[in-house]
Amino acid sequence: MTRKKVKLAFITNDSARKATFKKRKKGLMKKVSELSTLCGIDACAIIYSPYESQPEVWPNTLGVQRVLAQFKRMPEMEQSKKMVNQESFIRQRIAKASEQLKKQHKENREKEMTEVMYQCLTGKGLQNLIMADLNDLGWILDQNLKEIYKRIESLKKMTPTQVAPPVAPPPPPQVPAATSEMLARGVHGQEQKPAVESGNVEGIQRPQWYTEWMNNPNENLGFGHGDEMMMQFGDNHNAMWSSAFFP
Amino acid sequence: MAKKPSMGRQKIKIAKIKKKNHLQVTFSKRRSGLFKKASELCTLCGVDIAIVVFSPAGKVFSFGHPNVEYIVDRFVTRNPRPNSNAFQLVETHQSASIRELNLQLTQLLNELEDEKKRGESLDFMRKDSQKRFWWEAAIENLDLNELEQLRDSMEELKKKVANQTNNLLLETKPPRMMNTASSTADIHNFGAYVNGFF
Repeated sequence: MTRKKVKLAFITNDSARKATFKKRKKGLMKKVSELSTLCGIDACAIIYSPYESQPEVWPNTLGVQRVLAQFKRMPEMEQSKKMVNQESFIRQRIAKASEQLKKQHKENREKEMTEVMYQCLTGKGLQNLIMADLNDLGWILDQNLKEIYKRIESLKKMTPTQVAPPVAPPPPPQVPAATSEMLARGVHGQEQKPAVESGNVEGIQRPQWYTEWMNNPNENLGFGHGDEMMMQFGDNHNAMWSSAFFP
Repeated sequence: MAKKPSMGRQKIKIAKIKKKNHLQVTFSKRRSGLFKKASELCTLCGVDIAIVVFSPAGKVFSFGHPNVEYIVDRFVTRNPRPNSNAFQLVETHQSASIRELNLQLTQLLNELEDEKKRGESLDFMRKDSQKRFWWEAAIENLDLNELEQLRDSMEELKKKVANQTNNLLLETKPPRMMNTASSTADIHNFGAYVNGFF
């Protein structure tokens, strides 16, 4: 089976067209046969071509006559309800593809805005965003916050008296102090803290940079600081933004 | 909104399917694929086809080019193809619009493929970031402390977004006197604005 993408148009080359016809006709007949067997249903196919004086059929002439008789016995409305020709069939396919495209577009937009959100959380400014972006960013934030609040609720319910004590930093070796290094996309080798079971805070080893960051609210990494924070990242902007987002 | 990966192509036995709903699903998918193949054969090779299929429930589906009745009649009456001029004219007219439609379809399918690829690379980026930065991890993997941190930062960002939105709204207004009733009214309309794309 060749895997070249075939253009959906009449094949002008005569021999290529004939070869394609032979192959595809064979495939089509096979598919009708499989459908009939797998689903235990009656079916027939009729193909008129310039290459044969008689139509090529499946299953056979008698079988076709039987199915057609069965077809004609049905009320007109039933016959035409699910009847299509090229035009109507292609229109149906267009409608379906449009739907899928819209859906995929929306999904991608959500994913894109999630990226933006995380970048803004670590200091990227909002100046380059247009109104539509801001609206969608707000929406994504709301969606995430909803989930977070829900999760916080359920965690609090499970361990109502649990108070997270500050965690002692793990012993050296030293992990380099974080600042902009932490946030640049080129960070390697920073250990990710292991996934945590709810409420079990004590046993967690944190990378040293995390504790430093926690204890230094004035670090420019902190969330919720004023505009001066954005200035700090002036030169790092390009390093932080993925090229996928800003072509 | 992660999609469950499908099972991919499996080799199946060609015998009647035992489970009823499996049978129904198979019928639906394969019938659709069959018509698609028939449609392609018509376009590529310029041949006339009819396919008639009965569903497990007894409904009948049919595909025909130029149309089902024409082919069925032709077969039943064993007539050679009628060559009336009117028929030829209708045929060529149809072909032109079918060509158009096929072009449109092809374009859509290409766009769809591109968007899917874009989605995949965005997913990949996300997975990568989730490993590196704790605050980007999935919410169910964060502990209470981290969640509260994240919540605070997001609330903060939300305020900034609201601020910036307001700024933009004010920017695009033509200059006017401050302290007029209408300018304050516009600022209060911000709430209505925030439905955006979704």
